[in-house]
Amino acid sequence: MKSKRKSYLVFSILAGLMLSLSSCVSVKAYEKMYLNDSDMALKDRKGAYHEINVEAYREGAAGANGGKIGGGCGCN
Amino acid sequence: MLFVLGGSSTLFSQSQADSLSPRKPIDINILFNYYEQDGIHSAVTGGLGTEELKDRAAKLVVHIPVDTATSIDIQGSINQYTSASTDNIDSYVSSASIKDAHATLTFGYSKFILPNRLSWNAFVGGGIESDYISSSFGGGITLSSKDQNQELSLGVQVFLDTWIVIFPEELRVPGMVSLPTDKRRSYNFSATFSQVINRKLQASLTSDLVYQTGLLSTPFHRVYFQDEELPDIERLPSNRYKFPVGLRLNYFPLDFLVVRGYYRFYYDTYDILAHTFGLEIPLKPGPFTSFYPFGRYHYQRAAKYFAPYGIHLREQEFYTSDYDLSGFQSLKVGMGIRYAPLYGLLRFKRGPGKVGMLKSVDIRGSYYWRSDGLRAWSVGMDLGWGG
Repeated sequence: MKSKRKSYLVFSILAGLMLSLSSCVSVKAYEKMYLNDSDMALKDRKGAYHEINVEAYREGAAGANGGKIGGGCGCN
Repeated sequence: MLFVLGGSSTLFSQSQADSLSPRKPIDINILFNYYEQDGIHSAVTGGLGTEELKDRAAKLVVHIPVDTATSIDIQGSINQYTSASTDNIDSYVSSASIKDAHATLTFGYSKFILPNRLSWNAFVGGGIESDYISSSFGGGITLSSKDQNQELSLGVQVFLDTWIVIFPEELRVPGMVSLPTDKRRSYNFSATFSQVINRKLQASLTSDLVYQTGLLSTPFHRVYFQDEELPDIERLPSNRYKFPVGLRLNYFPLDFLVVRGYYRFYYDTYDILAHTFGLEIPLKPGPFTSFYPFGRYHYQRAAKYFAPYGIHLREQEFYTSDYDLSGFQSLKVGMGIRYAPLYGLLRFKRGPGKVGMLKSVDIRGSYYWRSDGLRAWSVGMDLGWGG
């Protein structure tokens, strides 16, 4: 019961965070020098692919990171 | 069949595109990785025993823009590994000698419907290893705001997997153990919303809903019971829902410093609850070089079906002694370097008027620690080619 309450709390914080982002400033294309930097990409680096795979196998929790959710047993 | 259809669409699009606009360069990434782990809680031997494993992997990622609106993606990967735990399916006392391989191949197609605003994509793929065959397909749409400051992506992935069922040696007597199916189905519905917050800050929220059904346990994982010598195979419910939600926040506070943050909340119907935090801090001594130390912390509550060696009771309906489903904390630390000079590291002629080049090199290494005693390390390299 306690953990369920915690889960709702975390989910509410995340939802609130994203709602608050709707008041963000409009950034023009020519102002995106920093945002377009490869280190600013909103995804994992390609080079991290194998590490993410291993984490999906070695931990019961997986997903929400662009990693795999199926297609291999990971049974060793 | 899908591949043939994909190929015809490509040719059609290409002929249109040639008269409309110049083609963007092809991007190719070649990835190599070496991984080693060791621990004392192998699920093959009921939660006690070596988990020694060595894995060598290579992956090829090819992105081919057909025209300004259409592109094709091809991904292929191969792993070759030696695993002590898998070697113990047949014998209790053995060495890290058994060899296996895992290969995958995926074809993707994506197309803009409205230039830079609305696109769709589809993929089809498959994978094979000695005890597992998988096929997959899926697709999605991406919608961007006019100023490209917001983006919403919706996607679906389906994995249709079949086990080649192998039981532990001592349970191979006919009729001793059986399974209702050798199939596993995984369905993933994914939504990602990303938002530019200001000139130096952007964030994304990803929510997945994963449904798995079929054989979700591993047929050669043993479970030992209280007061019984003979084990059974792992038994887990045939339906599982997973609810991961991930938040990314990337910030460029100084010209030489980027902060990449990640948090994931996870819950599933096996009662695993997890929190994962990731932090990467790329340091940029120049415009083409990044040193990026990174760290990741993961906390996980055990699945309700988990218990260590010899603790389960035979009358339970479901049981596992797989420490991947146990309660633990894990920590990963590592360091990487990426070098991507403006005109590449290496250039070569690849046809009349065409130049290819090695655009970037990314090398990384990491160490992984799990509180149950599992230790792992890996090194990897990503070579980015273009032309």
